[in-house]
Amino acid sequence: MSLARLLSVLLSGFLAVILPALGRADDKRPVEADYYKILTYEPPAGVVLEAGALEWMPDGKVAVSTRRGEIYMVSNPLADDPAKDSKFVRFAHGLHEVLGLAYRDGWLYVTQRGELSRIKDSDGDGVADRFETVSDAWEINGDYHEYAFGSKFDRDGNIWVALCLTGSFTSENLFRGWALRVGPDGKVTPTCSGLRSPGGLGMNAEGDMFYTENQGPWNGACALKHLKPGSFQGNPSGNKWYESAKDLGPRPAEPKSGGRMMVEADRIPELLPPAIYFPYPKMGQSASGIACDTSGGKFGVFEKQMFVGDQSSSFIMRISMEKVAGKYQGACIPFRSGFASGVLPMLFAPDGSMIVGGTNRGWGSRGQRPFSLQRMAWTGKIPFEVHDVHARPDGFDLTFTKPVDPKTAADVASYKVGTHAYIYQASYGSPEVDQTECKVERATVAPDGMSVRLVVGPLQRGHVHTLTLDGVRSSENVPLLHADAYYTMNYIPKE
Amino acid sequence: MPGFSRIASALPMLACWLAASSWTGRSVAAEPPGRPIVPGFERFHSDPVAGDSTGGRLLLGELNCTACHKGDDAPLAPVARRQAPILDRAGARVKVDHLRAFLSDPHAVKPGTTMPDLLAGRPKDDVDALVHFLASTGSTTDTAVNRKAIGQGKTLFEQVGCLACHANPASKSSPLPTSVPMADLAGKYSYNSLTAFLLDPLSARPSGRMPALNLKPAEAQAVASYLLKELRVETPPSLAYRYYEGEWAELPDFDKLTPVASGLAEGFDVNAAKRHSNYALRFEGTLEVDRAGPYTFHLASDDGSKIAVDGKVVADNDGVHPNSKKSGRTRLDKGKHKVVVTFFQGGGEEELEVEYEGPGIPRRPLDSALLPAEGADRPKVVAATRFVVDEAKADKGRALFASIGCASCHQLKEDGKMVEARPASKPLADLKGDAGCLAANPPAGVPDYDLSTAQRQALASALKPEPRKPTDREAIARTLVAFNCYACHVRDGIGGVEEGRNEAFATTQKEMGDEGRIPPLLTGVGGKLTSAWLKHVLADGAKDRPYMLARMPKFGEGNVGHLVRPLEVVDAVEPVPVPHFDVPERRVKAAGRFIVGSQAFNCGSCHQFKEYQAAGIQALDMTLMTKRLRRDWFLRYVVDPQAFRPGTRMPAAWPGGKSQLDAVFDGDTSRQVESVWLYLSDGPSAAVPYGLGRDPIPLVAEKEAVLYRNFIQGAGPRAIGVGYPEKANLAFDANELRLALIWQGAFIDASKHWTGRGEGFQGPLGDNVLTFPNGPTFAMLSNDTEDWPRKKAKELGDHFRGYKLLGAGRPAFLYDIRNVRVEDFSEAVSGGEAPTIKRTLDLTSDRPPGDLYYRAAVGRKIEPSGEGWYAIDGEWKVRVSADSKPIVRQSAGQAELIVPVKFNGDKARIVEEYAW
Repeated sequence: MSLARLLSVLLSGFLAVILPALGRADDKRPVEADYYKILTYEPPAGVVLEAGALEWMPDGKVAVSTRRGEIYMVSNPLADDPAKDSKFVRFAHGLHEVLGLAYRDGWLYVTQRGELSRIKDSDGDGVADRFETVSDAWEINGDYHEYAFGSKFDRDGNIWVALCLTGSFTSENLFRGWALRVGPDGKVTPTCSGLRSPGGLGMNAEGDMFYTENQGPWNGACALKHLKPGSFQGNPSGNKWYESAKDLGPRPAEPKSGGRMMVEADRIPELLPPAIYFPYPKMGQSASGIACDTSGGKFGVFEKQMFVGDQSSSFIMRISMEKVAGKYQGACIPFRSGFASGVLPMLFAPDGSMIVGGTNRGWGSRGQRPFSLQRMAWTGKIPFEVHDVHARPDGFDLTFTKPVDPKTAADVASYKVGTHAYIYQASYGSPEVDQTECKVERATVAPDGMSVRLVVGPLQRGHVHTLTLDGVRSSENVPLLHADAYYTMNYIPKE
Repeated sequence: MPGFSRIASALPMLACWLAASSWTGRSVAAEPPGRPIVPGFERFHSDPVAGDSTGGRLLLGELNCTACHKGDDAPLAPVARRQAPILDRAGARVKVDHLRAFLSDPHAVKPGTTMPDLLAGRPKDDVDALVHFLASTGSTTDTAVNRKAIGQGKTLFEQVGCLACHANPASKSSPLPTSVPMADLAGKYSYNSLTAFLLDPLSARPSGRMPALNLKPAEAQAVASYLLKELRVETPPSLAYRYYEGEWAELPDFDKLTPVASGLAEGFDVNAAKRHSNYALRFEGTLEVDRAGPYTFHLASDDGSKIAVDGKVVADNDGVHPNSKKSGRTRLDKGKHKVVVTFFQGGGEEELEVEYEGPGIPRRPLDSALLPAEGADRPKVVAATRFVVDEAKADKGRALFASIGCASCHQLKEDGKMVEARPASKPLADLKGDAGCLAANPPAGVPDYDLSTAQRQALASALKPEPRKPTDREAIARTLVAFNCYACHVRDGIGGVEEGRNEAFATTQKEMGDEGRIPPLLTGVGGKLTSAWLKHVLADGAKDRPYMLARMPKFGEGNVGHLVRPLEVVDAVEPVPVPHFDVPERRVKAAGRFIVGSQAFNCGSCHQFKEYQAAGIQALDMTLMTKRLRRDWFLRYVVDPQAFRPGTRMPAAWPGGKSQLDAVFDGDTSRQVESVWLYLSDGPSAAVPYGLGRDPIPLVAEKEAVLYRNFIQGAGPRAIGVGYPEKANLAFDANELRLALIWQGAFIDASKHWTGRGEGFQGPLGDNVLTFPNGPTFAMLSNDTEDWPRKKAKELGDHFRGYKLLGAGRPAFLYDIRNVRVEDFSEAVSGGEAPTIKRTLDLTSDRPPGDLYYRAAVGRKIEPSGEGWYAIDGEWKVRVSADSKPIVRQSAGQAELIVPVKFNGDKARIVEEYAW
């Protein structure tokens, strides 16, 4: 038997995966860097800048908090050559793993493991000297997994705090596995239950709060979830704390392990299904920071879209979201890879560039630096991308960033649509299950070439729909920069 | 192989996940109990298909049909037929009452057994004769199980893999059709005989269908204790002991000593001593030996010990030493022998363990094998009536054993001589498939297997020899069916954990998901593991995955060793060409080390490296990789892990084959991957990757105070440590609003929290740590005799409000005690022989309470020591300055120095100095 024959035997059936060539990729196609460049800051020697949170300061500096409990002020953060021209000055130290920063009225609000605090420099020497506890309404017990992530201020002046479970599986202390809102007056409102291991918080353009959740118990894959007040996000480990959250009503029914999310969501009214799943590991393994482009076009043509980071894969994804049946759902699309460390916090600067912090301590990352601070800026060139994915009763409306080539875009063979679901279960993660293939029946290109109406059958409620647009070309005969989009179809629109 | 392709297509297409297999267990229509259970038949062949004889051939081998009906000796080639248990020492393994019951009606006593009923319709005397014959091969002694180990035994039974094939006796739900039945174990085995069986099942059942789970002796005892927990035996003490006190460097001459105490003991138990150092013990008991031959005695002790049998020293483990082992051998005749074990203890650890082994007796504790000591009360429940073998009956039984067919399946050697079978059955090829054993109601004198209709049909279809040799692929699949490998593993989309057994697979690393608990995918395993490792895993079993609780059992090389070659052929991976390097190999390995280390892919965040724990999950030891794995597989795997282990958490470090490391070998993936392989090829002697292990990160206060907010040992999860330039330090507990620790010298090492995930509490780095007791700093007391409250600050309504930094970065902690605002500021003072701490507490309140007290010190003893100082336990001292006089009081069993807080208008101030 020849070796080639042996290999084909090996690859038959189950392992039908083409092994990637062990070599260097060819670089003729357009690449992400043509459109979005990444600039790297160089903190002074000895500074371990494991970025946990970022905030834009009124004096034009960027505040960077670290997992080691320090806060640095970066001056001249929008320099063309940040490695040379941006300077780091320590503003505070001795804090407990700061994963939230928000500025208001002279105070920098910092979310530490055990409390939300606000700090300021009262004597103007450039170093914080006032550290006030705003809320310590939750508890910690010394377990490393009990992280606390803090948001920016929402439209009502609240800071949201998302609290990881104890040790990944249990809720040993008050409000572990919850999202709380801390009001301007310090009043604490337990807002959502069912969290497991958040990786970041952020709002969409409308100001609704979202968080990223990580694959694990009751989470088949990482996901972006809407923190709708009163909702239960799916992991019941922390639901005993409903007794300490009387205003939130009775404890929701316990989900059944081993079923499907939408079956349980239909049964348990409080259970809010994830808005967007990130199929594992194609769309990362540890969803992290969230940032929304409200730059008014300075970041390119993705105005009002959200971006989500991934710590393991050191990349950032783009979100196309809509409301169906009154609930958020939508698609994730690869956006930019190649960050230097594990992506954690993300912040849009006023010039429309995105500042991205990284760390890979404790969890490895594709980007091999132990920590990093970078800035992603638009080069002014528009990539050929799927702009938006909208679900229709019988398929999808796809919009593009540039006109498509009518011939390839109208050819149903240019598209592939497959679906899968996850087991909603108490044990860790889930394989992709219930796979189906959809038939692409018709692809109708709009006269302006900016959108395609795709008739696909049958759609699967509760499934992630993977749309692969390998064959579509732009009017300039360029393939899509990213040909895959993953749409979470919790609900199929009625019209 | 039509049977398998049918099954594969009947299963939902296995997506991409190790554990998807969990849900592919074929649901088998449960027939009424009463058929021999062969798991592979139940799972894959219980619904025979015309023209497919695979299931029938499986049964021909598993029911051992060809032992009587000569034909192909491996009907399911290459799987050798399953030999029935070896009965050489059946009497020493199985209790007489069980033998009698089981022979009389095997299907009733052990439903699902593969043993046919040979005696139906024969006179009762025949059963009796066979019982006497089998009992002549040895005897069992009932001893009490180790009740303390039952819990551990249950855990082991439920986790190491027993439940892959067996049902859990603790479960209320009815067993799955594929569950291999277990007899009434307490009726069948003694504690010792079941322990011995579990330690080495292959010696009694050589065909490997019951593989060895590589239990350690204590684990086998624990599992036996669990499985026999219904067995209630009262054992009389078997040893007379004498206890002596004195100081020796070796065993004393006991004849010249007078014992301090004496009595009876159940075992060689050092607890017979009345203290923990400088004593000696002498134990005496009687060992009755059934068979003459060499016997070995094993001593393990700290300190010295010695064993003598019939006055002759057999093993000498004398002297002062840590736990050491000595063994010795002696020949013993059949009959009773006096055993004396002596032991002495100097200081430190005290341990004594005595074991023995002999002809037909695997190594086991000696004490439980001894006869009751003289003078011991007879137990209320007699452990076992000693069965007396009637030689005439045994002779008759021996003849029956040969003539009625027992010897055709069971090996039974007496003094090395086999009891020969007298076959009188037709060759397999001459059978018609509808009579004899395969008749719906087998006639008397014919073995009755209690076969189901499906089994009879399957067998009938497999009587003719196979027309051709199986292909390698078929040979592998057949082996995996016969040995029930599919109970745990998926290969080529077949098999895997049945849904009903899914819960039995657990992990110590839950966050690894199914990958951490479900045994690995076998698709491609022959291209993955090296020949030597594959052979080792099959022959010896394995436990390479530290996080997985199920163990790969030992099936025995003779049983499954034939898998190695076809697996290698079928699974071969296309070789990866060796890239050319311009630099010498040591430079290549250095590059590999860099890639593995924390400056690049940081493999150590998940993978162990020798004794270095990983930062997160504890995945397989990197130094084992090149020993286990083939190079071609490894090089392809690290580039695309998902292609080989769908769903694995292992990230793709070279996504799409592209390097992320431009600086190493010009970003050339193939050289980078090869360099990692070459580096790891050094195995345990490879240089430790960068970033493994923890370098200390000492925090030092130079000119200003350093703060460290983290989990501090003794100060809680919300601790705030403060290091002062004067080299005095403190930790404040922000949860309980109290000063928790003060110490001198170095401040703290942050490396525990600043490397890896930061698990756990860190104590001070310096010296002379003074730990203050729990409890609030201030309390409202109705009078100065009321106990200091024990409630948590939040329960009392008190709140931490943060801190402000005063001069030189020193914090003043802010908190509210009800309506009193406290500013709690400490500074370190140098100058004396050691730095001291001066603490100033400023209180303000718009409604000053009259019942507020400050607790300045707690100890066993507090007394004034001049100039306003108080000495606490004579070890350290405090001085308090306030507007009221401190009170020394006794409260709740301790001494306290408390200060009533006196407000001046809305303010009060207390200053406390600590010198320690």
